[in-house]
Amino acid sequence: MKNILDRNQDKADEVRKLLREKNVVMVNLISSPGAGKTTLLERICENLGNKMKIGIIEGDITTDRDGQRLKKYNIPIVVINTEGGCHLDSHSISKVLDLFDLNALDVLFVENVGNLICPAHFDLGESFKVAMVSTAEGDDKPEKYPMLFREAKAVLLNKTDLIPYTNFNLSNFKKDLIKINAQIPLFEISCTSGDGLREWFEWLSEQLDIFIKI
Amino acid sequence: MHEIRIANDLSEIVLEVASNEKLSVVSRVNITFGEMVQIVPEIFDFAFREAVRGSIASEAVVNFEIIKIKLKCRECGNVFNLNGSRFACQECNSSDLEIIAGKEMFVKSIEGE
Ligand SMILES: Nc1nc2c(ncn2[C@@H]2O[C@H](COP(=O)(O)OP(=O)(O)OP(=O)(O)O)[C@@H](O)[C@H]2O)c(=O)[nH]1
Ligand SMILES: [Mg+2]
Ligand SMILES: [Zn+2]
Repeated sequence: MKNILDRNQDKADEVRKLLREKNVVMVNLISSPGAGKTTLLERICENLGNKMKIGIIEGDITTDRDGQRLKKYNIPIVVINTEGGCHLDSHSISKVLDLFDLNALDVLFVENVGNLICPAHFDLGESFKVAMVSTAEGDDKPEKYPMLFREAKAVLLNKTDLIPYTNFNLSNFKKDLIKINAQIPLFEISCTSGDGLREWFEWLSEQLDIFIKI
Repeated sequence: MHEIRIANDLSEIVLEVASNEKLSVVSRVNITFGEMVQIVPEIFDFAFREAVRGSIASEAVVNFEIIKIKLKCRECGNVFNLNGSRFACQECNSSDLEIIAGKEMFVKSIEGE
C-alpha cells in the first residue's frame, strides 16, 4: 500500500520542519473564488502589520492581480501561478520559501486558489488551515465539503453585511457546520465593514502564541 | 478537479513500479479511496487515461475500492461508520471524534507482465 500523494506529503513535512525551526507560523487560507481572501489579507496587513512580521504567498491561477492589491503594504509577498491548477502543493511552496527571509517573519499567510475541495487534500506544510465562506454563496457549504470543514482549525463566515440582501440563513449554516464539525470555532465577519474582525484577530494572535511556544 | 493531480501522481507511481519490476505492460491498477476524498471515479478515470497515454499503462484498467468513513469517539471509545453526514457519536453524542478511515488514497497493487 503506497499513499498516492506521498511526494506531496514528504515535501510538506520538510516545509513544516523548516518553518518550525524558523519559528514561522504558516496559515493556509481556503475558500471559494471571491469569498474575500485577498480582502481579508488587506485587513490583516492594515491591522496586524505593526504587531507581527507578516509574509504572504498568493496562489493565483494565471494573474498577479491579488499580489498587486497587496503591494502597497510593503510586506514580503510572492505570487505562485498554478497555470490552471486548482490548488497549491507543497513543492511550489517549498520553492518560493527561499525568496523570503524566514528569520524576519512571524507568520506566513497562504492564499490558496479559490476552491473548496482540492486545496483541502493537499498538505502544504502549514501550521493550520482556515476555511472561509461568504454569505453570498449560500448556507449549505459545510455538508457539501466535509473534508475542508473537518481539516480546518477555524471557519470565517465573511460578508455578513450582505445577509439582509441574500437568502442566507445563519441558523441553517450553523446547524450544517455543527453536523460536520461541532468543535470548530466560527467567526462571523465582514471584511468591508470590519465587523467581527477583532475577535478573529485575537484568536489568531492566540494561535500564533501557541505555535511559537510548542 | 483534484482528480487530475491525483491521477498524475498515480501514473508516475505506476510507471516507476512497472519499470522497477521490468513489466512490459500494465493491465490493472487497484486503488483505494476514502469517501472523504470525494473522488468522482469517471473524472479520475478520464484524468488517468490522459496521464498514461502512450505509455505501457495506456490500456490499464483502474479498479476503485471506496472506503466508508469510520469514526472513533474520543469520549467513550465507540467506533462506528458515519451514518448520513452528522459527525456525532452514536452512543454518547460527543462531537470529539477521530476519523480512523475514509481519508485513504492508496495504490494497493499493480498488475501486468
Ligand atoms: N459586501 C462585502 N463584500 C466583500 C467582503 N469581503 C470582500 N468583499 C468583496 O468581494 C469581492 C471578492 O473579494 P476578494 O477578496 O477578491 O476575494 P478572493 O477570495 O480573494 O477571490 P479569488 O482570489 O478570486 O478567489 C471583492 O469585490 C470584495 O470587495 C465583505 O465582507 N462584504
Ligand atoms: Mg484573492
Ligand atoms: Zn461516544
